[in-house]
Amino acid sequence: MTALPTLPAAPATQDAPVRRAHGGRVEPVFYLFLVPTLVVFTAFVVVPALIGIFYSLTDYVGFGEWSFLGLRNYTALFSDPRILESYGFTLGFALVTVVVAQVIALALAVALTRRIRFATTLRTVFVIPMVVAGIVVAYVFNFLFSNSLPALATAVGFGPLEESILGNPDLAWLSIVVVSAWQTIPGALLVYTAGLTSIPNELYEASALDGASPWRQFRSITLPLVAGFVLINTILGVKGYLGVYDVIVGLTGGGPGTATSSVAMTIFGGFTGGDYAYQMANATVFLVVTAFISVAQIVATRGRAVRL
Amino acid sequence: MSSHVRPGLSRRSFLAGSAALLALGAAGCAPSSRAAEGVTLRFYEQKQEVVAYFDELLRRFERERPGIAVVHDSTVAIAPQFVRDEPADVGCFNDNLELARYVERGVLGDLSDLPSARTVRTDIGELTDQYATYPGRTSVLPYSLAAAGVIYNKRIFADHDLPVPETWSRFVDVCEELRSAGITPVYATDRDPWTLWQGLFDYSVGSLVAPGEFFRRLKEQGTDVGPDSPVSFEKDFAVPMERARTISTYFNEDHAVRAYADGNLAFGRGEAAMYLQGPWALSQIALVDPDLEIGTFPLPVSEDPDDRQVRVNIDLGLWIPTASTHREEARELVEFLMRPDVINAYNADNLAYSTLQDAPPQQDERLAGLQEYVDRAAFYQGAGTFVPTSIPLGNYLQEAIRSGDFESMLRTLDADWRRLAGREATV
Amino acid sequence: MTTVETPLRRRKGLHRTNRLLTVLLALATLTVLVPLYVTVSMAFKTSEQSADGNAFSLPAPLNPASFAEAWQLTRFPVAFGVSVGAAALAVLLTLLLSSLAAYAIARNWSHRFFRWSMIYLLVALFLPFPVVALPQIQLTALTGLDNPVGVGILHAMFQLSFSVLLYTAYLRSIPIELEESARIDGASTPQIFWRIVLPLLGPMNATVGIFAFLASWNDFMMPSLITSDPALQTLPVVQNIFQSQFGTDYNVAFASYLMAMAPTIVVYLLAQRWVISGVTQGAVKH
Repeated sequence: MTALPTLPAAPATQDAPVRRAHGGRVEPVFYLFLVPTLVVFTAFVVVPALIGIFYSLTDYVGFGEWSFLGLRNYTALFSDPRILESYGFTLGFALVTVVVAQVIALALAVALTRRIRFATTLRTVFVIPMVVAGIVVAYVFNFLFSNSLPALATAVGFGPLEESILGNPDLAWLSIVVVSAWQTIPGALLVYTAGLTSIPNELYEASALDGASPWRQFRSITLPLVAGFVLINTILGVKGYLGVYDVIVGLTGGGPGTATSSVAMTIFGGFTGGDYAYQMANATVFLVVTAFISVAQIVATRGRAVRL
Repeated sequence: MSSHVRPGLSRRSFLAGSAALLALGAAGCAPSSRAAEGVTLRFYEQKQEVVAYFDELLRRFERERPGIAVVHDSTVAIAPQFVRDEPADVGCFNDNLELARYVERGVLGDLSDLPSARTVRTDIGELTDQYATYPGRTSVLPYSLAAAGVIYNKRIFADHDLPVPETWSRFVDVCEELRSAGITPVYATDRDPWTLWQGLFDYSVGSLVAPGEFFRRLKEQGTDVGPDSPVSFEKDFAVPMERARTISTYFNEDHAVRAYADGNLAFGRGEAAMYLQGPWALSQIALVDPDLEIGTFPLPVSEDPDDRQVRVNIDLGLWIPTASTHREEARELVEFLMRPDVINAYNADNLAYSTLQDAPPQQDERLAGLQEYVDRAAFYQGAGTFVPTSIPLGNYLQEAIRSGDFESMLRTLDADWRRLAGREATV
Repeated sequence: MTTVETPLRRRKGLHRTNRLLTVLLALATLTVLVPLYVTVSMAFKTSEQSADGNAFSLPAPLNPASFAEAWQLTRFPVAFGVSVGAAALAVLLTLLLSSLAAYAIARNWSHRFFRWSMIYLLVALFLPFPVVALPQIQLTALTGLDNPVGVGILHAMFQLSFSVLLYTAYLRSIPIELEESARIDGASTPQIFWRIVLPLLGPMNATVGIFAFLASWNDFMMPSLITSDPALQTLPVVQNIFQSQFGTDYNVAFASYLMAMAPTIVVYLLAQRWVISGVTQGAVKH
């Protein structure tokens, strides 16, 4: 294969429509690229999902006899105050955490693509939270919140934090935010890093020559070109935080009281606790809610995340 | 280095490596047959602390009975194997509401015709019926009974001349004296909700309201559960919750932020006089101080010393699923495990009580205070164990202890139960 | 356009900002290094010391035996091998299926079939695992996939949506001129994909690969449900034996988790180089 042909200097912008390779017909080999994926995906994901949704219309527990219940599980769902409470908490939590996590992740990503010392080392360090096991995270942060933070607050005299926030029904959710963000920032960081590599350095150099400050560069060059990735990460982030489970189980167990009970907790509780079909109905509703929120985000931003 | 070559190389070697691993994985998936012409049984037991103990027992069984190999399955979740319709041949599991689901649906076979079934104490056997029954079957053979009461620090009690309380008012007196002496009377660990319902809740309820009977009547009522129904949480548990509230006033100040591990640590260091925990905590406390002098007694919640009972649970019960393909060999394994020398040794070594009729007493000194109650069958299965996990009892208790309001917790329990009963999901 | 020269920024004296940045970043790493320190120090403690509630204390005495104990209890080599196998399968399938599908979608966006396929694939992003868990258990049991192979396949399936999304986004920013000129030179689409597009997807291959690997490596829930033979369980499932409600052997558990963490760092470092090489390719691209 010969060397790559050289290209014209104009960078592709995100708004330029993609030009098709051919007139109006699709080359058949493209179907060969796509269809196998669609087939396995349907077999292993979509069909089980449809079956799972069907189970939500029954009282099936995974084995033995069951009967068809119609929409009874769903009507019961909407009159269950604990379920509604869990949705309220989960939505609020997701909103806060996605903002915190994305801001920090983007800042880190931009900082790390600058030419600084130890960039590779730093990048590796920042990926560690993503690879640490749940039980380790739970133990360490339990300790930090129960002992270290109060000790620090007492030394400094900062009242509200002198008692572990894990035992405070009004503040416990903050601990979940911190740990969730801590765990998911590396992932967002990875996506942003990959996205940022597509921005040519010449743009920065040219603007620096024109006297642009780093913040101006960020605002006018970086942000527009990674906008698509910001939206992807936000949509995926919200979706991920809506499903928060491991962190809560490890840190607060849904407490104090039911202050930090998330939707996923109630769903998994039913999964292992005999209320399977009811929680499948809950899971189906959750699926609709999550999809709705994500689609709303895509529509509101005029599809930039998906179409770029 | 050309940027073309490296991705290509790593792509190809990556593909080659994965193909090799795939082949390895595929080979590993071929059904393993340890014994050449023999039978391979699967023994399902997932209580972590005794996995090694049972491994040894299984090896002993294999030596005594050549031709049978036993694989020890310690998967955490029990459901998937039934969902796949490939359950283990012999199961050894905690008898509780979860197992009740399997009993009710008839997927566990009848064990009543086994010789060892007749050697089990009937009063312990009846405990399994409290959760669920399947007509005409003995689905679970109780293997190990665990008893729990109040764990107390003998030296603290001796230092302050405190007797083991036999009535509720004496118990309160003891707490008062401890508190005025500057010692934490009871150590609580609110951050682990299970410790709250297992200890405070169950102990307060058990001797005043027979849980098995209460929940049987509650289930009969269906959705008619409230202040006007024959039985309800709000009515029947009012007095026990009064007791619970009083006890909670004697908790350590930082109970809201302490977890089970902190509790073991603190009690092991002698920072509290009493601890509402079961025998499982004893080994953890021993890690902190192996020489700590510990005793146990049942929590008295009435003025009549004869009302005192200990909280028990069938920590391990044996079952054979109907879907097992090696029923004869599975029954042999069960018979082996139920042999007096085997079952009595297991319970002696693991701070529990054998379920056989002529079982020897538990030798561990720390549990001596509970022995007579176990012998007399003055016991109950904790009320909390009858509450399905979809009702977060432990979390509700956290809130009740914090606010001091136990009545609204009981009303919430009634409301939740009503909803579950409406869905027929009370198991 | 030729190679990248020393960036003008340095010469313009923004060096000061970069040093400040380095310091800030170093402080930020504390949030990662402190937990890591606790993990490592706990792994070297004795059972007694690990239960004494003092997470920050140094191990005294130093007890490397926890690692040996963890190795034995988990049958580490076997579980490790199974995890590697499942993860490798997951990554391989994900990379292959996603990149092909994304390429087809990105280059045929104007056709309804491909647009809607994208949305169809995105549906799985919103599927909570509990909805599909039970049916998947039944499905894998029926098709003989209730083993690490099935686990790997399912991991890839769950990664498809996200990976296709990433690839499509990235592909949109790769100008089509490269492929068009190759086509004019007489290359077929498969050739163009394999020789031009796939190398250009370098940074995304690495990113998608890392995500797929990590999702598979650390997953506990799905393998514990799907694999029927307990001897063929992945590492996270096997490591669960350290955790019981009534007492956790923290020092042994942490030693085990440290050993399980090591490969992920290695994989990340390897993939990192791929991403970096993509940076230089990005420059060549323009």
